[in-house]
Amino acid sequence: VALPLSLSTGLTCMLVCRHHLRILYTKIIAVLQNFPKDAAYRKYTEAIINERFNMVKAEPDIEKLENKINSGQIEEVILQAENELNLARKMAQWKPWEPLIEEPPSDQWKWPV
Amino acid sequence: MLLLFFLMAFHLPLFFSATIRPKDEVQQKQLCAFGEYVAEILPKYIQQVQVTCFNELEILIHPDGIIPVLTFLRDHTNAQFKSLADLTAVDVPTRQNRFEIVYNLLSLHFNSRIRVKTYTDELTPLDSAVPVYQAANWYEREVWDMFGVFFANHPDLRRILTDYGFEGHPFRKDFPLSGFVEVRYDDEVKRIVAEPLELSQEFRKFDLNSPWETFPAHREAPEPLTIEAGDKKGDVK
Repeated sequence: VALPLSLSTGLTCMLVCRHHLRILYTKIIAVLQNFPKDAAYRKYTEAIINERFNMVKAEPDIEKLENKINSGQIEEVILQAENELNLARKMAQWKPWEPLIEEPPSDQWKWPV
Repeated sequence: MLLLFFLMAFHLPLFFSATIRPKDEVQQKQLCAFGEYVAEILPKYIQQVQVTCFNELEILIHPDGIIPVLTFLRDHTNAQFKSLADLTAVDVPTRQNRFEIVYNLLSLHFNSRIRVKTYTDELTPLDSAVPVYQAANWYEREVWDMFGVFFANHPDLRRILTDYGFEGHPFRKDFPLSGFVEVRYDDEVKRIVAEPLELSQEFRKFDLNSPWETFPAHREAPEPLTIEAGDKKGDVK
């Protein structure tokens, strides 16, 4: 079964569908809602995702959209969104905004020894 | 003649340019900013962030944070370090945690590199990075073989470089230069034999101290002599 090539590039056999991006971005934002408000990861990721989401909503032409986002071809932007979604779900378990687990021994990072 | 001219023109700048590495302050600022960004997002695992004099960003983390930090650096939109360039270890026997494990990552998307360092001792296992980077598989086998650092959850942790039946971890600082066994061809039994090494005592003495001062810039100031007040002597009559 031949998948339709990307309208913009023909780079891969990924189905480029802006609807797909919208779903991904909505999911990421939903996951981020569960994080504490002052978590730096939530703050920065929400900023990135909202910026891109607004561009996707505003720009119907894929080629112009790629230039606006300036992060490679639209397939790459979709991959980045998928990775970010996976990462956000894992972050919910790791809780990296908590304080440092343990200080290193005093001479651990001293160089030269 | 023309050829000579071209050779001269090509080599002249090489002859007359100073061999001083130019300082790239823009890149250094970018690296500092990114280091602060990562440290702010992952305060639970990151102990220290530093940029070396050759503009290499180093992130020093707690050993529990290997999987989260590497996954973050791989998957975050602003990082995208998709490639594990190298994984190795450093042995510093005087430290409480003698092994430093070093991960060198490369982001093809942003054309930048980052180094993640963590630590362990002989007995504490580290989390394997194979679920995050497939490339870590053989590197971790190498570190296990050469240093004896155990990686938990590794799919196939066994020797990779040393010979069959080899004992010990050759890259440890306390591993003798000559090894423990000697392998040679024995003419009487007509085969290769391995037997424990016999060294006369004079070959066991190594003078490892360099006559040169290796790190003069990092010389520690000698402790000032303090004279403690002695007991007051009683009058001797």
